[in-house]
Amino acid sequence: MAEIRLRNLTKRFGDVRAVSDLTLDAASGELVALLGPSGCGKTTTLRMVAGFETPTAGRILLGDRDVTETPPERRNCGMVFQHYALFPHLTVAQNVAFGLEMRQAPRAEIGRRVSAILERVGLAGLDARFPRQLSGGQQQRTALARALVINPSVLLLDEPLANLDAKLREEMRFYIRSLQREFGITTLYVTHDQAEALVLADRVAVLMDGVLRQFDPPEEIYHHPRSAAVAAFIGLTNLLPGRVASRAGDALVVETPAGQVRGRGVPELTPGRPAMLSVRPEHIDLDGGGAGPPGGGDGINRLRGVVVERTFLGAVTDFRVDVGDGLILRVQGRAAASHRTGERVALAFPEGAAWAVPPGDGPAGVGEASGPRGPQPGPAGAG
Amino acid sequence: MAVLARADAAAGRAPARSAARHLLVAPAVLLLFGFFVLPYLNMLVISTMTPSPTAAYLRIFTLHNYARIADDAFTWGVIFHTLQIGVLTTAIALAVAYPLAYHLARAPRARKGLLMALVISPLLVGVLIRTYGWMILLQDTGLINEGLQALGLRPLPLMYNDLGVMIGLVHVFIPFMVLAIAGPIRGIDPEVELAARSLGAGFWRTFWRVTFPLSLPGVVAGTILVFVLTISSYVIPSLLGGFKVLTVPILVIRTITELFNWPGGSAFAILFFAITIAVLWAYLRILGRAAHPAA
Repeated sequence: MAEIRLRNLTKRFGDVRAVSDLTLDAASGELVALLGPSGCGKTTTLRMVAGFETPTAGRILLGDRDVTETPPERRNCGMVFQHYALFPHLTVAQNVAFGLEMRQAPRAEIGRRVSAILERVGLAGLDARFPRQLSGGQQQRTALARALVINPSVLLLDEPLANLDAKLREEMRFYIRSLQREFGITTLYVTHDQAEALVLADRVAVLMDGVLRQFDPPEEIYHHPRSAAVAAFIGLTNLLPGRVASRAGDALVVETPAGQVRGRGVPELTPGRPAMLSVRPEHIDLDGGGAGPPGGGDGINRLRGVVVERTFLGAVTDFRVDVGDGLILRVQGRAAASHRTGERVALAFPEGAAWAVPPGDGPAGVGEASGPRGPQPGPAGAG
Repeated sequence: MAVLARADAAAGRAPARSAARHLLVAPAVLLLFGFFVLPYLNMLVISTMTPSPTAAYLRIFTLHNYARIADDAFTWGVIFHTLQIGVLTTAIALAVAYPLAYHLARAPRARKGLLMALVISPLLVGVLIRTYGWMILLQDTGLINEGLQALGLRPLPLMYNDLGVMIGLVHVFIPFMVLAIAGPIRGIDPEVELAARSLGAGFWRTFWRVTFPLSLPGVVAGTILVFVLTISSYVIPSLLGGFKVLTVPILVIRTITELFNWPGGSAFAILFFAITIAVLWAYLRILGRAAHPAA
């Protein structure tokens, strides 16, 4: 299976830069999620890889082939569309056979491979149905089968689960993941759903306004976002504004309106710099964590506040706590479910749960930070 | 025919109160019955009466009118010639209209209105004025031929022949063809075409395997509409053909107005009606088989 290499890819529509100078690699067999809000350029990127859009600048390499100028029919990409784009006038079997017919495969081989893949995706027996006679999940699996049966060099998925109901979406995540592993196929997966990206991807590329903000494994993206924008986009988090007071190696102290907070942060946050502290609601303990010096020192940050709102969410209870200056922190936890609105509470969270990032959008691109893989210079760099 | 089947299925799903809804078609049915079915039945009756030089016809039953047409090689020649003009006009209109309809269907919303106005513009001018306009362009001393001569080229016979008739017919029937085809094309998800491309089909194979089959309902509607309108048109073939091009409508009207042979003209019209139905039936069968090769 071929790796995907995007080199300084740029796409302009009139005055709008849909994608800016995007450099990104997906290793052979890797599943990379392109994650971002709508209009961030992730679908445009996918369409350029598929050959449906021509880049304004930059190169696209699939394996050793530079396909930047290659028409879509000669790229050998398996593509699954958001609305599946099944051929409505063809049966399930004819849909799946289409790509093999275009490759002039012998009739017997087509029959064999089509029934094998339909068996694999659990559609055996439905081969004579038309797409309109299938459920959403079945259409989805037909689209996957149609894309996979041609043994594509890469698999491109454009929000493949967006049109399924919540329960089926959850199931299909794991299904797509296992199918992708089984075929060992390099995959680009476009989604705006961060949970989907975290569950499915080997690495997540966060795109905003056409710019790659961060490209890291899911745990790294979740726990160590590189900017406030990424932190706010991935999962639910509290962002406390402040200023770096001191720094020793990874550990730093940030002066916030609610008091001093100890944590860790991205390397470029030197003392005196403004910073945003990201603390996940599930990492904050509302009971105050017992006795201990209020300024920390035992590895625990302690703040005081007043509960302003309490919402029962089922598995957890969500609190909005005013920690002074109108600064509201959200806290989620099971143990703290008894606190009432107006009650004074102590908040505690470990130093390791506070992660400092630069305020605003942060660095454009991932080059300057200590990411495991920065952009590699030059087109066809490792060709 | 797949279209019709689909429409039937949709109608079959209609819930209660369908009886009340059937009343909605009543005005159209009454109108068609009064001004189409009844006159045709009347013509059918007249076609079996005996011609007379002194009255419209004599009330004496006969099949002689049909027998005489069936025996007449000249009449059959006119019938074939009419069908030939119909097929050619339809084919040319389809070839010109299809790309136009595709462009119209895929055009951005803002530009669609203007394009639509341009497409239907031939219909905004009355048939006589439009046809005389063509005569000014096409006749031997017309704009085109004088231009050719000014360039030192030989003039072309553009009028009083099949070519002139078909130019006039194609021009006015293109809007019908475009409107019939653009609807179904608009209903094709552009991503379906992209899916075909990504699966290895080039531009033309994508067109023939995906786009064209999916637009077939529009093609069927458009071709039938234009074919029927062409073979029944009278004004354009008369003026641009200068009565050198003979078609069935021209001959029927002549039989009635010049020979005062009402039964003969009626029999000719009824016979041609039957032939038209037969041609359309064969056409739909062939297309139906092409659309569903397995069936």
